[in-house]
Amino acid sequence: MPTTQSDLLQGTLDLLILKALTLQELHGMGVSRRIAQITGGTFDVKAGSLFPALHRMEQAGWLTSSWGESETNRRAKFYALTKAGKKQLHTESERWGRISLAMATALRTT
Amino acid sequence: MIRRLRALWNNVFRRKLLDRDLDEELQAYLELVSAEKMREGVSPEEAYRAARRDTGGVEQVIQSVRDVRVGVCLDRLLQDVRYGVRTLAKNPAFTLVAMATLALGIGANTAMFSLLDQVVLRLLPVRDPEQIVIVRETGNHYGNTFGPNTISWPMFEDLRDNNQAFSGMFCRFPATVTIGYGDRAAQISAELVSGSYFPILGVGTALGRTIAPDDNAVPDSRPVVVLSHSFWRSYFDGDRTVVGRTIDLNSHAMTVIGVAQPGFDGVEMGVPAKVFVPIMMKTEMTPHSDGLKDQRRRLSWVTAYGRLKPGVSLEQAQLSLQPLMHSILEMEVQQPEFTRSATPADREPFLRNRVELLPGSENELREDMRKPLWLLVGLTGAVLLLACANLANLLLARATAREREFAVRLAIGASRARIIRQLLTESLLLSGAGAAVGLALAFLTDRILLRIYLPADAAAEFVVSPIPDGRVLAFVVGAMLLTSLVFGLLPAVRGSRTEITVALKDRSGAASATGISLRRMLVGVQVALSLLLLVGAGLFVRTLRNLDSLGPGFPTDHLLTFRIDPSLNGYSDEQTKSFYERLNVNLQTMPGVTSVGFSAMPLLKGYAWQNAVLGKDFEGAPIEEQPILSEVGPGYFATLGIPILAGRAFTTQDAGPSKYAVVNESFARQYFPGRNPIGQRFGLVDDMEPVSPDIEVIGLIPDRKYRDLRETPPAQAYFPYLQGVHFRFMNIYLRTQADPRHFENELRERMRQFDPHVPLDELQTMNEQIGFSLRTERLVAGLSAVFGGLATLLAVIGLYGVTAYTVMRRTREIGIRMALGAIRSNVIGMVMREVLILIGAGLAAGFSLALVLANLVRSQLFGLNPRDPLTFVASAIVLAVAAGFAGFIPALRASYVDPTTALRNE
Repeated sequence: MPTTQSDLLQGTLDLLILKALTLQELHGMGVSRRIAQITGGTFDVKAGSLFPALHRMEQAGWLTSSWGESETNRRAKFYALTKAGKKQLHTESERWGRISLAMATALRTT
Repeated sequence: MIRRLRALWNNVFRRKLLDRDLDEELQAYLELVSAEKMREGVSPEEAYRAARRDTGGVEQVIQSVRDVRVGVCLDRLLQDVRYGVRTLAKNPAFTLVAMATLALGIGANTAMFSLLDQVVLRLLPVRDPEQIVIVRETGNHYGNTFGPNTISWPMFEDLRDNNQAFSGMFCRFPATVTIGYGDRAAQISAELVSGSYFPILGVGTALGRTIAPDDNAVPDSRPVVVLSHSFWRSYFDGDRTVVGRTIDLNSHAMTVIGVAQPGFDGVEMGVPAKVFVPIMMKTEMTPHSDGLKDQRRRLSWVTAYGRLKPGVSLEQAQLSLQPLMHSILEMEVQQPEFTRSATPADREPFLRNRVELLPGSENELREDMRKPLWLLVGLTGAVLLLACANLANLLLARATAREREFAVRLAIGASRARIIRQLLTESLLLSGAGAAVGLALAFLTDRILLRIYLPADAAAEFVVSPIPDGRVLAFVVGAMLLTSLVFGLLPAVRGSRTEITVALKDRSGAASATGISLRRMLVGVQVALSLLLLVGAGLFVRTLRNLDSLGPGFPTDHLLTFRIDPSLNGYSDEQTKSFYERLNVNLQTMPGVTSVGFSAMPLLKGYAWQNAVLGKDFEGAPIEEQPILSEVGPGYFATLGIPILAGRAFTTQDAGPSKYAVVNESFARQYFPGRNPIGQRFGLVDDMEPVSPDIEVIGLIPDRKYRDLRETPPAQAYFPYLQGVHFRFMNIYLRTQADPRHFENELRERMRQFDPHVPLDELQTMNEQIGFSLRTERLVAGLSAVFGGLATLLAVIGLYGVTAYTVMRRTREIGIRMALGAIRSNVIGMVMREVLILIGAGLAAGFSLALVLANLVRSQLFGLNPRDPLTFVASAIVLAVAAGFAGFIPALRASYVDPTTALRNE
């Protein structure tokens, strides 16, 4: 079930990007593929929403970027988590955990 | 912080680079996606197309990334501004004082400098104004003159036709003319101009054409007039059909040929001309006074101007004109006109006269206002320094007080950069608000000051730019901004390095030990500058009081004055004489009026009719200062309250053919030393014909001031006006029983019934007129008093703040001292010693500064020495008492410290 950007909950994309970058630094396409991988293909993030989010998060100080070389030997911009980004991931995961638990409980109730 | 600033910088100024980066990033993305597709077995072209489809348009992506970047910056800025406003609002006392300080510094300086710039510094609104110079003759001219910068018409023609220094010369003469007839009759200022006036100035028209050389070829030949743009707007409502119409000037029909370009009101700034008339129409514009057709060389009346040739300096031109001037003087000295006007002893000094060139924008108003205005600019400069010191002190105090807040915020994880950025925002907010208030203040002040300074009609047309001079504004706002940034941020930077634990534990803020000595120094500077301003205020206020209380020497209450000129309506001498005789009788019957005095020349208006006199006793001596003369009516001395010391006053019988005069004591002393002046005879020198001493002195009056309140009464002689041959303008003085202002409307009505065609001019009370003549002194005294008061207030607040803070820091120490047996007076003494040292140091510095600067204001003072001991000592006492009191309050509070509480607290 491929999901378009409009279906993403506010904050969900940010959290997914942060999560995607926990293991290693990635370029834009890498982030997109990693998200697809960890969500079992549920989320396919397109460039139109991916890049604005990356730049916004970089300005917020959660990500840093550097130029490196891609698999195709091309100059590409790689993103990595900052300290603030890790903290943000932590608090957001907790919050998300609470929300999803609450949602699940609420939906189970008859 | 730096990274974010760079991001902001990149966003705003380096978009291209950013876009290139973004573009490259997206290209890489596209390539990676297509490589992935190709691995799935799709052809390269198909893969690339799919990748593009997948991306959804590179341009759209770039645009949305851009939006995100700008949005983030704006968001953060708004957040900071909101927080800044909240913090400032939380501490209204600090915010108000700081903003008031900023507004004062910025407002006072921009207002004063704008005034100086507009009144004194600004160049003429013409093409290449720096090339225009006034051509004047130095030294005694031996004849009659209309002011210091004038020369005779023939001399102007000689200079114009023979000089090598100028690309062209023109001249002008200001005159008052009556425009219209009947109810719409009004007196306006006109400029009589030579044919080269408009072309050489490079001034064009908004409508029609200007006065051309052709219009000025033959006397009385071209009755044409050019209107000033502002006069065209106000009097003719900007009617575009006015060109070609005829208007009445002095009852002569004149054809309007054009409207001058906007903003050009003649070459005498501050005295705007409403109409421009060819100088060849002089006879029509100024009846009974020639100097043009008769080629008189001993009557100087035109102001001559030259345009320097490109590349020729004022000094070079002045030098090159000297031989020409000398040859003109050599010729003049041979003429009978000169011989009749001067003695042989006068020939030598006359031949030493020279040409002097002045900047073209120079005039009497500027001459008078230059010194006082520079003085006020100096005062406001001191105010600016003081405001900066005060602001620095406030910000230091605030930063110190917030040290704990910063420590707490650092402890819970705020970054140093974040705190500094927020302080920066606060400083900018504060400066911005202060600057806005200051600018509004400056604009209002300038309007008011110009109104005080200039006659009402001139002020209305004097364009005050709502945006003050950009350079000053930049300088002043920059100075204040720098102050607020340096003193707002330095403590913050230092504060943010504070050991958190120390700052949190130690209530007294050990980290700010250096801050306090800086603050004490700033307070010392404030005290010194306050003393300087207070001394200035004292000197100027006392000068004003001296001038006010001394007065002209006759009672000025209950005196109403106005001016009329029936000759400007085309009335003949006979008609004008009859007009005055009937008016004199008419006004005497006006209820509430006790007496009426006529005088051809006005009193206390800064100018006078002067002429050399001759008599058998003083023949042969060089003529130095000429006595002041006037023609007056029979009731003149009685109306002004000037007693007759000997002889008699004039009566209505003194109408010729015998010539009589009343002289003052100085005149008698100077011309008839050691003799009874009554019955002595003298004559008035005339360059046109030989004269004999045929005027008999019949009365003696005491010395009274004539031109202004600052002068030592000069020699004066008065003649009965009915004895004259020509009748022109008249100044009329009415002594009333009650407040003269209540008679103004009735008088207007009475004059309208008496003759509706003759307009009343300059109707005012004598006290109003004197008040206006003292406007410069009043302005300087008023502003310096306000500045002095505010300065003292700021210094006192500063001193209180520093002392209170010191006491707070030393609470523990004071507690220990008291526990060890110190009594309250010891504690008070300990605190006050520091306060007094601070005040003493400030006063000493201020004193030295004031002593050095005092000489600069010597010429602005009246009746007291610039180092007047009373003023100096009184200012010092006032300041010391106020500041001492401010220091005493915290000292007293310190003495109430309870040792046990103080020690337990720490």
